[in-house]
Amino acid sequence: MYQYNQIDQTLVDERVEQFRDQTRRFLKGELPEDEFSALRLMNGLYIQRQAPMLRVAVPYGLLSSTQMRKLAHVARTYDRGYGHFTTRTNIQFNWPELAAVPDILAELAQVQMHAIQTSGNCIRNTTTDPYAGVAENELEDPRPYCEIIRQWSTLHPEFAYLPRKFKIAVTGATEDRAASQVHDIGLQMVQNADGEIGFEVLVGGGLGRTPIIGKSIRKFLPKQHLLSYLDAILRVYNLKGRRDNKYKARIKILVEALGPDEFRRLVEEEWAHIRDGELTLTDAEIARAKSFFTLPDYDANAANADAHASLGDSLATDIEFNAWYRHNTLAHRVDGYRIAIVSLKPYLEAPGDITDSQMDAVADLADRYSFGETRATHHQNLVLTDVREGDLYAVWQALAANNLARSNIGTLTDMIVCPGFDFCSLANARTLNISDQINEHFDDMDHLYDLGEIRLNMSGCINACAHHHVADIGILGVDKKGEDWYQISLGGSSKEDARLGKILGRSVPASDVALTVEKILAVYVDQRRENESFAQVVLRVGIKPFKERVYATAH
Amino acid sequence: MPLLIDQRIVTEDPWQLLDQAALDEGSPIPENGPIAVPIIWYRQHREALQQRNSPLGVIVNGDDDLAALYADHSQLDLIAIEFPTFRDGRGFSIARQLVRSGFNRQIRALGHVTRDRLALMQSSGFNAFAINDERFQTDHLQAFSEISVNYQGTTADPRPIFRR
Repeated sequence: MYQYNQIDQTLVDERVEQFRDQTRRFLKGELPEDEFSALRLMNGLYIQRQAPMLRVAVPYGLLSSTQMRKLAHVARTYDRGYGHFTTRTNIQFNWPELAAVPDILAELAQVQMHAIQTSGNCIRNTTTDPYAGVAENELEDPRPYCEIIRQWSTLHPEFAYLPRKFKIAVTGATEDRAASQVHDIGLQMVQNADGEIGFEVLVGGGLGRTPIIGKSIRKFLPKQHLLSYLDAILRVYNLKGRRDNKYKARIKILVEALGPDEFRRLVEEEWAHIRDGELTLTDAEIARAKSFFTLPDYDANAANADAHASLGDSLATDIEFNAWYRHNTLAHRVDGYRIAIVSLKPYLEAPGDITDSQMDAVADLADRYSFGETRATHHQNLVLTDVREGDLYAVWQALAANNLARSNIGTLTDMIVCPGFDFCSLANARTLNISDQINEHFDDMDHLYDLGEIRLNMSGCINACAHHHVADIGILGVDKKGEDWYQISLGGSSKEDARLGKILGRSVPASDVALTVEKILAVYVDQRRENESFAQVVLRVGIKPFKERVYATAH
Repeated sequence: MPLLIDQRIVTEDPWQLLDQAALDEGSPIPENGPIAVPIIWYRQHREALQQRNSPLGVIVNGDDDLAALYADHSQLDLIAIEFPTFRDGRGFSIARQLVRSGFNRQIRALGHVTRDRLALMQSSGFNAFAINDERFQTDHLQAFSEISVNYQGTTADPRPIFRR
């Protein structure tokens, strides 16, 4: 992974001291509340319902075991012993003391981490495919470009006070695992007719109260122009994005208002001034970035007969391991290896939460079995990307001992859920009680496996942090006269076939959510043809049969 | 209102910045000395202003149509860019485009100019900073060096880190 040089380290160290001084001035009354608010948000610090909340950047989801152990230490020392992974692949701590935050940042800086630009109206942490570099259907590893974007966007002097937050995702595979079409900018690596690899540039996607799929404004951008083109988009947005209404300030609203053609024209006009200038990426810089993401030292002997036989034995004798292998591991590019997903969706625990001891356990496993690295996914899980098949049983046993081996990846209970009203000051409704309700209602794993791949996402408010619009089953919490109600939508996708779910009908009370999901799934089971997924059935039959079943009045 | 130039407090500011409301009410244009006027006024009275034979500047903000300004700033000695609120960052991009278009005289930050944005403003092309009296403290001068390294190009050195 990327290793800081002296300049990177100086930057995060000095940023800690700068924020320490800003916090000091605020606590002394020298810095007005509204200014400190903007400044602290740019450093990942929210003031939430219960306490401050600190969101720590995990660039493109990649964590070393040293960093993971430091996060465990922060959770233990400065918080209540846990952290929460988010759809931006960052981790947030819910209970730090405001005055202690500079010290937390100083600790993080020791392991090349920070909280820069994890909130606020600036360019947020760039996200990517959690299987980058090991996925089988990949054109090129996107991580070097994520790192190049990270550097360009970090403390960018011109783009620190944008009209609104700004999110970029990069994907290098034909399968889109980065939800790139619902980002302010989605960069999809593509190959042109000459065989060159570059980027298709999508702009103006996003969820929230106005969900929109991104528009392609350039089918092929040569790699060397990556930063100059991003610069041009951001400058147009900074100058023309609305500033009178924060709900209409995202770039998606600007792109819709101007139309993609006019937006493209403005970007190309701006780009013409800079396209061959200083921001043009050099071959040397691309090579340097790539040098940090080389293949690990794979064991050429990993696919040997003994390992294969031992895995086969374990699969045959241990049903639970067998289920975990089938649902929580994936094919790897290298023979003899598997990708192992660490489920942060244990039974009746908050999705995405992880305790300090669990973090330590994952760090140990990464060191022992996966070249010392872990990935965070936008589905709020962790991944060990490079596990030898012969080690899988040992990895599973260790995960299971730490309540991290629930074999539910891709199933109904592998939900993306925001923390909701229990933690977030924006939320209208609780979410964690509903995720518990769904877990209790659907506790038969064989039933879940039979239902197959289903993405259920639940947000506690219209800001859609849990991406409910792009789920097979999306649940949105709404407040009605002080009571929590839940609006359900069906048929969304964040993948290469990205689409927005359709609202089923009137919202249901908190007590009925799991029951409603059960009715929806019953329609699926009735309607499905052989091997047809939930998504395919919803596409084929539409939402009407689901609506009829859910809202049928009792006879 | 303390004015910082070259990271120092300037004691003599020769410029008079005239505001639109006063001009609309008939406030006279000073016969001599450097003045800056709102860009709308400048457009309406360009010839008369240029005949004054004293340095001339304009005051702009993010709501103004600036396309003509970039093409026609060789007559100007100062362009002041207003930051109407703390969260309005359009001025950063305006300064960047001004520098790129070849303007190399004074680019002054006006309005919500506070310590925590001085370094960003300087990197984006501002070379003068007017700070409200009630907000100014001498330790503002340290703000320029709080972060001593940068990934991006600046006006002083337009090369991003990978070209240095």
